[in-house]
Order: sequence, then C-alpha cells, then structure tokens
Amino acid sequence: MKTNTISYKIKQYLLFAGVSTVIFTCVVIIPFIYGLYLTMTSWDGVSRSKPFVGIDNYISAFSDSGYWVSLGRTFIYSAIAVVLVNAVAFIIAYMVTSGIKGQNFFRAGFFIPNLLGGIVLGYVWKFVFNKAFVELAGAIASGNVKSLLATENGAIAALIIVSVWQYAGYMMLIYVAGFMSVSEDVIEAAKIDGCTGTQSIIHISIPLMTASFVQCLFLTITRCFMVYDVNLSLTNGDPYGSSALAAMHVYNQAFVNKNYGTGQAEALILFVICAIVGGIQVYVGKKGEVQA
Amino acid sequence: MKKRLLSLVMIAAMSASLVACGGSDGASDGSSNGSGVSITILNSKTEIQTQFEEMAEEYEKATGVHVEVYNADTDTTVASQVATKYASNDPYTINMVDAKDVYSLADDYAYDLSNEDWASHTTAAITVNGKLAGFPVCVEARGILYNADAIKNITGKDFDPASVSTLDDFTALLEELKAGGMEAPVGLLSEYWSLGGHYFSQVYEEQPDPDAFVNSLLAGEEDLASNAKFNELMDSFDTLVKYNYARGSASNADREETSMKLAEGDIAFMFGGNWDWSVINQYDYTENLGMMPVPQNTTDGSNEKLVGGGSKFFFVDNSDSTTDEQRQAALDFLNWLVFDAEGNSFLTEDCALVPAFDNIDSSALDPLSLSVKKYADEGKLIPNYNYLPDDQMTVVGQEIMQKYLDEAMTRDEVAKAVVDYFKTATPIEH
Repeated sequence: MKTNTISYKIKQYLLFAGVSTVIFTCVVIIPFIYGLYLTMTSWDGVSRSKPFVGIDNYISAFSDSGYWVSLGRTFIYSAIAVVLVNAVAFIIAYMVTSGIKGQNFFRAGFFIPNLLGGIVLGYVWKFVFNKAFVELAGAIASGNVKSLLATENGAIAALIIVSVWQYAGYMMLIYVAGFMSVSEDVIEAAKIDGCTGTQSIIHISIPLMTASFVQCLFLTITRCFMVYDVNLSLTNGDPYGSSALAAMHVYNQAFVNKNYGTGQAEALILFVICAIVGGIQVYVGKKGEVQA
Repeated sequence: MKKRLLSLVMIAAMSASLVACGGSDGASDGSSNGSGVSITILNSKTEIQTQFEEMAEEYEKATGVHVEVYNADTDTTVASQVATKYASNDPYTINMVDAKDVYSLADDYAYDLSNEDWASHTTAAITVNGKLAGFPVCVEARGILYNADAIKNITGKDFDPASVSTLDDFTALLEELKAGGMEAPVGLLSEYWSLGGHYFSQVYEEQPDPDAFVNSLLAGEEDLASNAKFNELMDSFDTLVKYNYARGSASNADREETSMKLAEGDIAFMFGGNWDWSVINQYDYTENLGMMPVPQNTTDGSNEKLVGGGSKFFFVDNSDSTTDEQRQAALDFLNWLVFDAEGNSFLTEDCALVPAFDNIDSSALDPLSLSVKKYADEGKLIPNYNYLPDDQMTVVGQEIMQKYLDEAMTRDEVAKAVVDYFKTATPIEH
C-alpha cells in the first residue's frame, strides 16, 4: 500500500484524529469565532437583538481604565506568584527526591491542595485568614487586628499565598519527573570529578531539566493570568474592588454590568496578551534546552 | 491487520466516551411521560431551595404535574442564567428573577398574565408595556433589625422602635447601651450589595422624585454633597459606623458572625432586611426581634417607613419551547400558590416569605417578616427604585461605600466619587 499519497494521509488523519477534530471544532473553534463576532455587537447578554457596532467595544475596552488597572494588578500578581510557585515547587521536588524518609508521603501531601477546587479552597483560606490568623495575631499583639484580606496589598498577598499553596504541589510533580530523568551516571561522574551537591544541581541537574522548567513556567503563567475561582471565593474584589484581577473584571463587565460585547472584547485582549507571553516564554525556553 | 482492528476498537471506545458526555440530559425534559406534564422552575432564592424541592414532590402527588426545581447559581447573575437557557432553546417554564430583570426580559420572553385571577389581589405585580409579566413572589423590606431583649436587658424598659426614629434619640440609646456594658451595639454588613444595593440606594429612593434625581445625577447636574437626603442618611451611617462592633476591620465583617451576634443579643442593631431571618434562625436567637426604619434627623417622614416592596418575580415563558400544556400547568401552579391553603402555607410557613397577596393569612411568619407585614399593611413602605445603572451596586457599594465604612474616605470624597461615577454610568432605559 502506498503511504505517501494525499488521500492516504487524509484517511489516516481522519481515522485517528477525525472525531477529536469535529469535537474540537464544535466546542472551541466555533464558539471562538462566534465570540469574535459578539465583540462587534452591543449585546447585553440577555436580549434577542444583537446590534452590530463594529469596533466600538474595542474602543471602550481600551478606554476602560478599570480594566487596565486590573490587568496591571494581574501582571504583578502573576510575576510574583510564578516565581514563588516555581521556586517552592523546585525546592520541595528536590527534597522529596533526595531520599528522605517517607518521601512518598510528602509527595502526596504536597500534591493534595491541587485536588481541591479553587472555590472550595478559597473559602477555606478565607476562614483561615479572617478567623484563625486574626485570632493568633490578636493573641500575640492584643487588640483589634486587621485581617490580611481587609487591606489592599494584603488581599493580593493573600491571593499569592493561596496560589502558591495550590499550584506548588502540581509543579512539584513535574520537577520530580525532571529530577528522575537526570541520569545517575552523570551525577556520579560529577561527584567523582569533585562536584559538591549544590554545584551538581546548578551545573548538571538544572540544565538537564530545562524541559520541566519550560512546562512549569508555561502552566503557571497561563493559570495565573486566567485565575478567577480563587479570586472570587477568597476576596471577590474586596476591599474596595482593589483585588479584582483581569478575569474577574471581564466577567463583571460582561455579566454584572451587562456590557457583554465590551467584556468579550476585553477577554480577547487578555487572551492575546496571555498567548504572547506564553508563546515567548516557550520559544525562549525551548532554545535553551540541552540534550544529554 | 490485527493491530489495525485494535486501534479501530480503541478509537471507537474513545469517541463513544466523548459523545456520552454530551448527550445525557436530552431525555429529561419531555412532557410525554404518560400521567402528566412536567414543568421547570428556576429558583433564585437559594435559601429556600430545600423547601422548594419538598414542595415539588408534594405538588406532584397532589396534581400529577412534575415540577423540576433548579437552584440558581449564586456566583453569577440570574439574568445571565436565564439568557443561557434561552440561547440553548431550553428555557425554564417559570423563571424567578429580580424586578429589573423582568423589565429587561419581559418584552422578549414573558407570557401575559393579566387574565389571571390573582392579579386583583396584589399591588406588587410588574406590568411592562401593557403586559402583566411579573408575579410577585414575596415582599421584602430593608431597615434596622433590632434585638429588643438585648436592649431591655440593659435599659430595663420594653423597647419601642418609634421612640428612636430620630438619629438624636437613637444615638442617646446607643450611648445608654454602651454605658450599660454593650460596648459596640451595632453590626454593619460589609458586602457590596448591602452597602451599595441596600443602604446607599436609600439616598435615591427617599428623594421626593427618585427618577428625576437619578436622571440629574446621570446628567452630572446634581450637587450630591449638599443634598439633604444624602447628608441625613450619611449622618445615620456615620453613627452606625461609630458603634460598629467590627470597627477597625469593618470592611471584612463576616455576615454569619454579625447575624449571630444580633440573634444572641451581643449587639442590639444591624442594618439588613427580613431575608436575614434565614441566617439568624440558624443560631440561638432570642424571642423579640424586629425591624424598624433607619433612624434619621429628618422631617420628611422617611424615618417612619421601611424601604421595600415586591421582591423576586416569577415570569412564565412565552416561547415555543414551552407547550400549551406546560404553560397551563405553570399558570395553575401560580394560582395554587395564591388560592390553595397548601400553597399559602408553603409561602408563609415553609419559606417564611411575606406574601404579596391580600388574601393570604400570614400570622405564622417570623418576627422580621411580621414587622415588614405591619409596615406594608400601614402603607409605610418606600418603593424600591429599579432603574439604577447595572454597576451601581459594585462601584458605589464596593469601591466607594466599603472604603467609607473602613473610614478611609471622607463624606465629600464619597459625594464626589458617586457624582463622577454617574457621569460615566450607562442609564437603564425605561
């Protein structure tokens, strides 16, 4: 049988990926195009008429100062959270692969937060911040202590803490796989050559694990930019709307303020930014990969 | 060949599992299951979902009509959920929505209910462009909730809400309570809907002509800082802030905790509404609770009235997705609520709602609802204003009033921020 004809290739493609292509088109491509169309209407999200308004929504999205403020906030939140998540994940991954007692138990323990839904853990942490920490701090400092969630910077800090707690376990798994993939031989050879533990991590393990870093950074960056569930259940924009991140602003614009078109346009801008940042990061990361 | 067969089988299994995810809910909404029709209700008063489900079972036993009750998602607006169902051509037969949603949805989707018998028994129904669209589910009102037992414990006298209708008298009582050992007698919720949708909205609602006032705000012509109603209500708010038990971290007060403190008499007053009963009754509450108007130093009589009216409205779907039998069943259900003893007791006893119909006996209501009923019967309700811009509640409630509650903003700044907000706000057509 000839395997290089076009019809053969199409048949092969349809055989293996035909169903997924249809489903992917239905649930991703078509809604995406329809969403693009909606950005050019002044639909309120409810009524039957969707008046066409051209690029008005993009103009109002660009002039919506609240959106850009929340986007700036998202950048700050993401930058800090991404660094912390990966640093913490890398360190615990190193610890649970170094052969300490009960390391499987620790791996499971660190991973568990990731199994909880963002909404649930948001409410759990809200209780911890508002009640447990306040009680503790009150006992130490005495008097009416403000919860972290009641201050503008504190609320963002709380979001970062919870995100790190949630994602670090998942990223740890990827780093653990990275550590496992570094061949024992190389490490041993380095040891014989007189490499110290730290040196072998920096000069041997990390370069060989670039693939893990690329993956983890990509996952954390996109997740942080799009975060909504924890934002909703932990702070819901309080205090004074100062902790509303971009996704929450988009949601409120579309569904609470009933400017569906503007909200959709803002969502598209968020998507483009996210895609650019993620794309650059993967491109740069891939270039730096080392083949052992 | 064998390998090929195996891969085909695997592909078939994978696609089957994918397809199975999508097709499961198609069979449930048919009206063809022999005995009777089946209708769906969207319930957006999530606190009565359990009662609703129990009622649905009883109702099916009694009438043969199957009622499926869906609990609205509290994380998103009711209107968007209704819209989603319409977009997928699978609307609820009966939709419970807020007043402003009735105005925006009625033209497209609501069935005209003018010929129903219950229409003459209520004044709270909503008519849109000549079409009676909204069936009032209940009456709700806002004001100050009080715990009379907690007050009596300190003052030694029975508490008469009429004696503290002015802010001066109210402040004197707060001082007396404070001297008697209750250090901070007031609770204020920090949620934006309470601050923006319930408290600050009184500034518009208590104007002689709310519509003209809001329009002039929208036009940027109103001098809010020197408006009498604004200042009277903000004076009262200042007092509430001053005696707030959570002062210092006020923007982070917990609704459950505040309600519990009121129920158990740790605080004596809380700004809220009769819906707060569903939270209060979870705790060990004392007997004599009630509601009174927000005390104000005013002469316009608004300090003797609660603010409120019909709340949550049913509208019946008029689209082709609902069959005539289903629509009839929906109309029968609304009649059952108003005219059947079982329906009445579902509203007033099971759900503790203040009925909006004059023929329904409501003596079994909870104390807060009884207060509302008393004010409603005396005609002492200031109507809700339903045409505030959609984001008024979040902007004024969260970005402005929450900051003021935290004493991080002055009154002049509040006035200026509200005026600035209205200049860019999108008016609601009506």
